[in-house]
Amino acid sequence: MKMPEVDSCFFMVLQEFFMHISEGVLSGPVLASGIALAAAGTAIGLKRLDYDRIPHAAILSAAFFVASLVHVPIGPSSVHLILNGIVGLLLGWGAFPTILTALLLQGVLFQFGGITTLGVNTTIMALPAVICYYLFGCMIQKKSYIAYISAFACGFISVFLSAIMVGAALMFTQESFLGIAAAVIIAHLPVMIIEGVVAAFCVAFLKKVQPELLPGFSGSINS
Amino acid sequence: MKIIHAIKKSVFHKWPYGLVSFMIIFLLTFFLAGAAFAHKVMIFAYVDGDTVYTKSKFSGGKKAKNSQVIVYNQQGNKLLEGKTDNNGEFSFKVPQKTTLKIVLNAGMGHRGQWTLPIEEIEQQTKSEAKAAPKAQNVTATDLTLPEVQEVVEKVLETKLRPIMKMLAESNEKEPEISDIIGGIGYIFGLMGVASYFHFRKKNK
Repeated sequence: MKMPEVDSCFFMVLQEFFMHISEGVLSGPVLASGIALAAAGTAIGLKRLDYDRIPHAAILSAAFFVASLVHVPIGPSSVHLILNGIVGLLLGWGAFPTILTALLLQGVLFQFGGITTLGVNTTIMALPAVICYYLFGCMIQKKSYIAYISAFACGFISVFLSAIMVGAALMFTQESFLGIAAAVIIAHLPVMIIEGVVAAFCVAFLKKVQPELLPGFSGSINS
Repeated sequence: MKIIHAIKKSVFHKWPYGLVSFMIIFLLTFFLAGAAFAHKVMIFAYVDGDTVYTKSKFSGGKKAKNSQVIVYNQQGNKLLEGKTDNNGEFSFKVPQKTTLKIVLNAGMGHRGQWTLPIEEIEQQTKSEAKAAPKAQNVTATDLTLPEVQEVVEKVLETKLRPIMKMLAESNEKEPEISDIIGGIGYIFGLMGVASYFHFRKKNK
C-alpha cells in the first residue's frame, strides 16, 4: 500500500516531533556549517556578554534547559516549549553560548538531539533569537502596547524562524524543504502562540519591576 | 496590597532574577505533574526463523506509524526498505547473512537505529535448519532430561535476549528528576566558574 505524498506529509505532522535533530540524520556539510555558525555566534556572544549579565545568562539557560520538558498538548501534535525568543530578547548575541550550554546538557543528560548535531541545533534555535533581538529589541522601551505586541511577535517569530531553519537543515539531506517547513510550522503554531504570550507577560512584568533588564534601557535606575 | 508590594520590592529588587527563577520552579512543577516525553524514536528488531521483525516507537510509548525503515548491510549498502504499519511494525525476510543495520526514519529529523548482529541471524537460521531433520527421526522418548533442559534454555535465551536489551535501553532514556536538577546545577556551576575567573582577574 502506497500512500500519496500529501497524506504521508500530513501524517508526519500528526506524529510527535521537536526541534532537536538527532544524530545521523544530517549530511556532513550541513553539520559542518552548523558547527561553524554556532562557533562564530558563541564567540561573538561571549565577547559581548559582560560579567554583569552572566547570572542572567545562567538563569535563562536553566529555563531553556527545562522548557524542553514542558509539552504543549494542544493542536495536532505534542511539541514542547522552546523559549528562544525571550532568551534572545534579554541577551542578544549572548543567546548563542546560553543555548549551546543548555543543549549540550540536554544532549548529555536526556539524549535529546546529539553531540554531532549540537552545532546545527544551536544555530537553529539561537540564530532566530538574535534576529528577533535586532527586530524587536528597540521596540520594547516604547509605549506599553507597542512593547507587548512586539514581545508577542518576538516569541512567535523566533519559533517560526527556527521551524524554517529545521526545514532548511533537512532540505539538504532527505526531504523537500517546503513540505517539511510547512509541517514543522503547523505543528508549532500552538507553541508559537504560547511563546508569544509568555514573552509578552515577561516583558510586561520586567517593564514594571526591572526595566533595566530589557534591551534599550536608557533611563536611570530608580528603585 | 502593601505586603505584596513590599515582597515584590524586597525579592525582585534585591535579587533581580526572581522572576526567571520563579518561572523555572513553575516549569518544574509542570514537569512533575506528569508531562509525557516524546523526544526519541526507537526501533527494535529480532530474528525468528528467517524473518526479521521490527517494532518502532517514540519514547513515551507512541507507535511510529507509516515511517520509513531502511536496512543496510555491514558495508553500509542499502538492502531493502519499507514502511511501518499502524502498529509501528515492519517485517522482512533475512536478505543476507551479515550484520544488519536497521534504520528508522520517522521524518523531521527523527531517527532510530538497531543493529542485528550476524550471530543472532546465523543462530536462528541454523537452529531452524537443524531442527527440521532432527524432528523426523527423534521421538520424544529418545531425549534425556538434560538434553531437553539444554534445548529449552537455549531457546529461552535467544528469545529473551532482545527483550532484555530493549528493557535496558528503554530504562536509560527517560529524563529523570536527578538529571534535571543536575543540569540546572551544572549551569549554575558554570556561572560560578565564570565569576571565579572574573574576580581572579580583578584581584590581580
